[in-house]
Amino acid sequence: MDLIANLSLGFGVAFTPINLMYAFFGCVLGTLIGVLPGIGPVATIAMLLPATYALPPVSALIMLAGIYYGSQYGGSTTAILVNLPGESSSVVTCIDGYQMARKGRAGPALAAAGLGSFFAGSVGTLIIAAFAPPLTELAFKFGPAEYFALMVLGLIGAVVLASGSLLKAVGMIVLGLLLGLIGTDVNSGVARFSFDVPELTDGIGFVVIAMGVFGYGEIISNLSQPEHEREVFTASVTGLFPTKQDFKDMAPAVLRGTALGSALGILPGGGALLSAFAAYTLEKKIKGRPGEVPFGQGNIRGVAAPESANNAGSQTSFIPLLTLGIPPNAVMALMVGAMTIHNIQPGPQVMTSNPELFWGLIASMWIGNAMLVILNLPLIGIWIKLLTIPYRLLFPAIVLFCAIGVYSTNNNTWDIWMVAIFGVIGYVFIKLGAEPAPLLLGFILGPMMEENLRRALLLSRGDWSVFVTRPLSAGLLAAGALLLVIVLLPAVKNKREEAFVED
Amino acid sequence: MKRRHIIFLTAASVAVAAALPAAAQTSAAATGAAYPARPIRMIVPFPAGGATDILARALSQKLGEKIGQTVVVDNRPGAGGTIGADAASKATPDGYTLLLATSSTHSIGPAINPKIPYNAETDFTPIAYVASSPNVVLVPNSSPARTMREFIDHARKNPGRLNYASSGNGTIVHLTTEYFKAQSGTFILHIPYRGTALAMPDLISGKLDVLFDSFVTGMPHVKDGKLRALAVTTLKRTALAPDLPTVSEILPGFESVTWFGVYGPKGLNAELTARVNQALNAALADPDVKERFARLGAEPTGGTPQAFAAMVRTDNAKWKKIISERKITTD
Repeated sequence: MDLIANLSLGFGVAFTPINLMYAFFGCVLGTLIGVLPGIGPVATIAMLLPATYALPPVSALIMLAGIYYGSQYGGSTTAILVNLPGESSSVVTCIDGYQMARKGRAGPALAAAGLGSFFAGSVGTLIIAAFAPPLTELAFKFGPAEYFALMVLGLIGAVVLASGSLLKAVGMIVLGLLLGLIGTDVNSGVARFSFDVPELTDGIGFVVIAMGVFGYGEIISNLSQPEHEREVFTASVTGLFPTKQDFKDMAPAVLRGTALGSALGILPGGGALLSAFAAYTLEKKIKGRPGEVPFGQGNIRGVAAPESANNAGSQTSFIPLLTLGIPPNAVMALMVGAMTIHNIQPGPQVMTSNPELFWGLIASMWIGNAMLVILNLPLIGIWIKLLTIPYRLLFPAIVLFCAIGVYSTNNNTWDIWMVAIFGVIGYVFIKLGAEPAPLLLGFILGPMMEENLRRALLLSRGDWSVFVTRPLSAGLLAAGALLLVIVLLPAVKNKREEAFVED
Repeated sequence: MKRRHIIFLTAASVAVAAALPAAAQTSAAATGAAYPARPIRMIVPFPAGGATDILARALSQKLGEKIGQTVVVDNRPGAGGTIGADAASKATPDGYTLLLATSSTHSIGPAINPKIPYNAETDFTPIAYVASSPNVVLVPNSSPARTMREFIDHARKNPGRLNYASSGNGTIVHLTTEYFKAQSGTFILHIPYRGTALAMPDLISGKLDVLFDSFVTGMPHVKDGKLRALAVTTLKRTALAPDLPTVSEILPGFESVTWFGVYGPKGLNAELTARVNQALNAALADPDVKERFARLGAEPTGGTPQAFAAMVRTDNAKWKKIISERKITTD
């Protein structure tokens, strides 16, 4: 019963008043910065990092972890309420969450996101506690060939995911892939499409595109409509809590999202993001009950599944960090920095050399998730009040916070200009009726896919058969091919187009 | 209600942003009207939270104590450090803007990239050599090689069959391994990754055969028994791991370190340069700095501005030679 002994050690550490206080402080701060569009956890943790030097290591890490979870809760709040993904993983939440808010169902959407995340977080915590060491072995099975196959599956999933015109979806993915090409090529060191601008040699930041296309684009398009036609969906907020039917709809979606998220989160590199996209795609493939709201128009499953998946994924993404010392994303990289400040070398030895830290952190993950539900469910009413702020105040505030947030990531005004440019591009997308979510997926997966393809071929000395002779890679590619066939089958295709007749 | 809410949010975010410099300022008692009369900015051309940033923060805190003024770290990341370095080169040379430079901004970067926006030698005033950090030669547990000698033999017997990982084309890991290949007469295929951390699973599982990783990121895997360390890349054995042999014990003269140093903008006068150099050397002599550097796999160096400039010139010339001999380009 190692698991119980370990967990009780962890809870013993985490349940001290001082650590509970730091967890609470982290969660509150995280929620605040998550709700503010633009100021993400990366900037906040980076700013607080030196301040944690004075704290005991466990408390410092508990607080930083609280900020991370809190900001994800807060991030889904803005995704649902103002259609602005604070983090890459909440991009899909925008699709149905925002539509729910438009229909006056912001409350149930927020509750679904919160409860789904809590459930997924709890499961994720248990998985880490029980299976961290054996699961690490799975990550070793994934070589470049497997990653490439996974990305292919992801991109095919993105096509399936898109609502509306298939042609436009493919167009947006390709555009995303092309944007992803900008920047220094890892293999040759050549700066592609940088036009001798040093800032472009790092490529375009994800935050820049997301904020520009989703945030500024939406604002411009709203302002371009005459005053009386602008969306005011706040007056009709009905019911803060999900109905019985909502619970029935979301429960299986939460379970599926959690399972998928936990599995994909273990893979280093974009675990939470991939799991959110994958969960949404899966939900869309699963037949709902008759009379259900179609996806893309405010289906509660479209909120519950990706939110559970990204939370499960971000939880299990601690596994590669804690067991391999490999940070799967920017926030985790900062956690590595925090550990280093406290003389803890992140990596496999943490579990044995600092057991109270390892298990204390794991226990505090669960406590943090519980705190966030307690903190956020009663607050849903307040968040919804955000929607009643007149646009003449809300819009300048969003523009300002986005500008502050994007500046603080690199301390460079260049990024602010880029957000502005992408804002105009986003407006054009809205006018053309092209959905931006596939663009972002293409943008993120494209470079990873290229790198892994070239790496796999380098390792095989140019032999393309590696992709089919390795069982995991072959399996993933087969799944991708199957998905493609399903989408292209005339029967399914017609039905799909029927389902997504543009409103 | 709603307005108060927004005001609260704004206040909270401003408080977060303001807390750090404000807290730092209270600790700094101004010593007099002369330099330094106001906080000094140290530009770190890499993102917050990374190894260079943590090193800079440990250093800036002690530097502030020794010089009697707050030293604020200003992260200006991007383009492999060239954006921050470029900003520092264009600052007023009044001693209030310093740059924490590394081998990638001032010796490898200029050697490999002719389009770099500054001249590393003439656009800066060298102040002091701060620290050096070795790389460590890592092999997976499945590797037949147990020593550096065995690894070289193994590689010679299997030309073109082994793979090595790097953190990208033109980085110190890539150049160091190419340097090693030239010296040892081996042929190992280059597999670039976006950072060595991403190459770790492939190295541990044996898909890759060797990695010249930075000391601080590589050693934890060795301590945990997942990888074997064969040697370090310093000329003499490092105090960080005295048991590890050096590559130069097999290939005489082989040396490759990542260095950290402080520059001012071009035209910083001799008096200010000497003042900052003194304070930096005093800070580096502090046992606390030594200990915090050791955790980052770095050893404090120190010395005169002239010695720093000479070290950088030698380092730059060495990489230039390797780059032209191995025909490494980024175009």
